[in-house]
Amino acid sequence: MRAAPPAPAASAEPGRHARHSPPWRQVARRPLTAAVLLGGVLTMAIAVAGLLVLTGRPGHPPGTASATPDGLMPLGTPAPLPKLATRTAPLPVALQIPAIGVRTRLTRLGLTRQGTLQVPSSPSVAGWYTGSPRPGEIGSSIIAGHIDSYRSPGVFYRLRELRPGNQIYVRQADGRYAVFRVTAVHQYPKAHFPAAAVYGPVPDAELHLITCGGTYDYATHNYLSNIVVDSTEVR
Amino acid sequence: MTLRLNAPRRWRLRRHGSGGKGAGRRSAGLAMLLGAATLSLGTLAGTAATASASSMSSGMGWVRCAHLSPNTAPVDIYMYSFGDPMAMDVLRHVPYGEVGMYMKMPTGQYSVAIRPAGAPASTTPVISANFMVRAGQAYTVAAMGPAGGLRLQALNDRLTTPHGTSMVRVIQASLKEHHVTVRTGSETLASNLAFASVTPYGADKPGRWMVHAAGDSATWSGKVKLTAGSIHTLVVLDSSSGLKVADLLDAAGSGMMPHGGVATGLGGTAPGRAPSPLPLLAGLAGGLLVAASAAIRLRRSRAVARHAR
Repeated sequence: MRAAPPAPAASAEPGRHARHSPPWRQVARRPLTAAVLLGGVLTMAIAVAGLLVLTGRPGHPPGTASATPDGLMPLGTPAPLPKLATRTAPLPVALQIPAIGVRTRLTRLGLTRQGTLQVPSSPSVAGWYTGSPRPGEIGSSIIAGHIDSYRSPGVFYRLRELRPGNQIYVRQADGRYAVFRVTAVHQYPKAHFPAAAVYGPVPDAELHLITCGGTYDYATHNYLSNIVVDSTEVR
Repeated sequence: MTLRLNAPRRWRLRRHGSGGKGAGRRSAGLAMLLGAATLSLGTLAGTAATASASSMSSGMGWVRCAHLSPNTAPVDIYMYSFGDPMAMDVLRHVPYGEVGMYMKMPTGQYSVAIRPAGAPASTTPVISANFMVRAGQAYTVAAMGPAGGLRLQALNDRLTTPHGTSMVRVIQASLKEHHVTVRTGSETLASNLAFASVTPYGADKPGRWMVHAAGDSATWSGKVKLTAGSIHTLVVLDSSSGLKVADLLDAAGSGMMPHGGVATGLGGTAPGRAPSPLPLLAGLAGGLLVAASAAIRLRRSRAVARHAR
């Protein structure tokens, strides 16, 4: 009677085991080397994750990170009435630019102690310079807003996308709108800002929108240029 | 007391379609205009100091028209462009004392013609003149003088003010008073200014001032508000009771001009300096090296274990 052959199987078992021992047993035998391997893999994973975060940084291209897409702009809200340029216009209270999805209330801006134009305290709100004519009056009216905050796009992030012909609506305290048409979009280096062209007297009702642009200087935490949009009242 | 002229009228050069009876009439009118004696216009010597910098680059200037001849009936004012013969516009039925709004016009030479209100465009104008629009400059084209000696004058309108001041000039368009003196506060803006003449602009302190105009027999007083950075023309006119003064706002800007650029960005969307990927790439390489050498060690230790058996 032949005995069941468990023995060879049993004897073969250890040999097979030795040739194909599972990695955990090697790990158990060499814990230090395994730890180093794990460490290396972890380092690679962290590096890859960092690279992914870097390339996925928000901000560009400009059109994609818009705070308010065009499609969300309720149409028909501005109800402009034909108006003539006047000596006195009501105070401006809100600004709408459908072409770039801007819809903001307007704060009041003065001058800083250094004599520069104050900027709105909130990056998501634009402001009217109270030293300039009111929008709709004869003269050059000034509205400024941020291109961005420390983290995200500001109210005038897409200002540079405006093109001649785009319309700008300024709601006045009496509920009426002064309507402007863009005539030009400029980028001026701040070091050579044409103050006379932007703030100086003009004989018709004009509106200038100002924000930052160009290269950002990380040393001084400043954009090196300003974007200035010229517009003239539509009558 | 009114300080304003009649409601400003809209007047913009329009391009007319070519062909048709109208076009023929217009070109006939233009030819006639060109043939008409060119009258001497007011000084057009464009001084760079009066130009608005914002419109310098765009090749546009501003023009407004005025009827300042006291005994001339209402008129139609025609304007033709030399550069674009099809462009023409008419300001109809302009009465004495009316000043139109400024219109933005391409630079170039223009011809202006005046006809009695309602007269066909084909008729010979009472008077016509040529003038040049330069980039960033503003003009008032005015019918001046008595009906018998009507003339067209293109005045160069100022578009700059010295820091913190207002600029004011006076046009004397009263025939009832041949010479008029105009004062604001203690400043004399015009002294015995003769009919149909104009003072240069003078700097004035911003504020609310009483304006006094005095001729030989009639006087007028009223208030005028001058803000820093604004430019005014005071027009002395005949009124039913004698004199009146109209205050025209020629141009306005910021009273206090901000210095330099505007700090409207905090850099959150700045593309410039993304953190360098080099350390991360080095980390990746280092990790790869360490992991690879550890893996080789493990394999080697397996091989050693096999041999040991």
